[in-house]
Amino acid sequence: MASGKLWTIAYRDLLRNRRRSILTLLAVALGLAMLMMFNGLIAGVWQDALQNSIQLRTGHLQLRAPTYQEKKLSLQWQDLLDNPGGLATRLNQMSEVKAAAPVLWAGSILSTGDESVSLQIFGIDPASPLYDPIRESLVSGDFLTPDDRSGIMIGQPLAASLGVGVGQRVNLALVNADGNAETANFTIRGLFSTGIVSYDESAVFMPLGKAQAFARTGERASAIVVLLHRQDDTDKVAAAIQSQGVATLTWRDSNQFVLQTVETAMGFYVILDGIVMLVVAVIIANTLLMAVFERIREIGILAALGMKGLQIMQMFLFEALILGLAGIVVGFALGSVGVVYLSNVGIPIGAAASVAGSNFAIGSTMYAHYAPGTFMWLSVWTLVFVLLASLYPARFAARQEPVDALRSL
Amino acid sequence: MSVIQLENVTKIYTIGEVETRALDGVSLNIEEGEFTALVGPSGSGKTTLLQLIGCLDRPTSGQVVINGKETTKLNRNQRADLRKGTIGFVFQFFALIPTLTAYENVEMPLLLNGQSGAERKKRVMELLEAVDMADRAHHRPDQLSGGEQQRVAVARALSTNPTMILADEPTANLDTENGQQVMDIMAKLNKETGTTFVFATHDPRVIKYARRVVTLVDGLIDANGKGQNAGKTA
Repeated sequence: MASGKLWTIAYRDLLRNRRRSILTLLAVALGLAMLMMFNGLIAGVWQDALQNSIQLRTGHLQLRAPTYQEKKLSLQWQDLLDNPGGLATRLNQMSEVKAAAPVLWAGSILSTGDESVSLQIFGIDPASPLYDPIRESLVSGDFLTPDDRSGIMIGQPLAASLGVGVGQRVNLALVNADGNAETANFTIRGLFSTGIVSYDESAVFMPLGKAQAFARTGERASAIVVLLHRQDDTDKVAAAIQSQGVATLTWRDSNQFVLQTVETAMGFYVILDGIVMLVVAVIIANTLLMAVFERIREIGILAALGMKGLQIMQMFLFEALILGLAGIVVGFALGSVGVVYLSNVGIPIGAAASVAGSNFAIGSTMYAHYAPGTFMWLSVWTLVFVLLASLYPARFAARQEPVDALRSL
Repeated sequence: MSVIQLENVTKIYTIGEVETRALDGVSLNIEEGEFTALVGPSGSGKTTLLQLIGCLDRPTSGQVVINGKETTKLNRNQRADLRKGTIGFVFQFFALIPTLTAYENVEMPLLLNGQSGAERKKRVMELLEAVDMADRAHHRPDQLSGGEQQRVAVARALSTNPTMILADEPTANLDTENGQQVMDIMAKLNKETGTTFVFATHDPRVIKYARRVVTLVDGLIDANGKGQNAGKTA
């Protein structure tokens, strides 16, 4: 039999009970739209966290001394890179490299007289484009200059909590490379606010030269941070800059915690996605089962005319397919609008939530990310679930004995 | 030549622990081209007998031979194949598919038989004209009267040129005029095409059309002068 007529019957049967069909279609559509927005937000949060971390902390690549221990923020000479300036200059000559600059990291305590807080010193090259994100997030005062010997920059939230502002002096203390305590007074030149509260509350910037002098590391640096034009070039550049006595870390190495957490979390999200799809599938199965019960008589007539079970099954699967596809088209459109809205406006989660995830560079607003690949897969899986769910009612219809079905005549 | 042969057919329905013997050892031969009425009171087994002849159901015991083919061992698909090429049905409640037009309802068995487009269209229109429904071809069942629907059902039953048409109380829900019209059409088609008609009824106005009457009482063919051959005409 030409399956065209089965499509016709399926389509007209859906129109027969319009309200039920529309409600079922909406269930599919809203389910998919919800999944798209949820997954868009998740993708956005993780992607933002990773990109923020790369832009503000790790770069795409880092060159360090092989013995450097990040957790200790070691200032021991043997743990630091010697002649980082020359290495950075060579890196900056590579076409794939957007910016490369040495950085000195040190643990420190900042005191205002009334209060003190532990934080991390970033000794940076203020002229490097590596710090454009900080330059762009300056909210008051001035950005650092390379020859500034007493200026620092701190985050606005930190300044607010300490009750200090631009032009005010604060005291910084650290254990220098010789293992001795070192303190000095600095003037706050500027305040920045990246939106990543955990970062803004824990970072203090000063010119590299001053940091090296303060920590007594000589010309040495903790690392050279490299930012690339294209993230995809990471492995290529990493391979090209391999040299003895220097450890090369890619953004994957530097962000292992984030990546591992994402991987673990994805398993959980897949379960959530599955639950939503299952709910949609149950609704579809219920609708089709109702349709089968309502049309038992017609199933009997068609069987009496010689229609085989497989064709009857096909007819109900076509109904599910039409409902599923229409629901997916509507859901994809709704979901896309939702994701675009969430990617522009976002959902405020507040500073507290941002700080709570201090291991992640999460802002105080969650933005969605439009992920066409993920959304296509969600659509495909929704359709698969819809079709799987419709197998039971379709099979139930196909297995009706004609004589039993006709008994309702 | 017998197109329908029933040998000692018994059908028992079991509901819970209660057994109901709908047919009790019925044997019956129906020849090609007969116009046979199965008569008897409600519950006498008329519909069950039609269902067994139509391969819609299987007997508990006995043999049902259609066109020389023993059907009781056939599986579901084989029975469906046999039905679509051999048997046409007309049901009591104008059993048309409500979402299809009169044309599409008549077309359905032809589609199931894989008949090609142009030939199919010609055949459908011929049949609709034969039952005087050509001008209502593109109406859906809910736009047709009961009599019109039953005429479409007759056209549908005839569409594949079946060997036999089985009709279960075809006029039960029609007024006298429409009932008579449907029976006239069936009788005419029987004469013109030689198709075997077997219909279950207890309507005396319908029985008068039959050239043979088989009376069923309590699942048995009544042998008391109104039995298997009663009413048979030459």
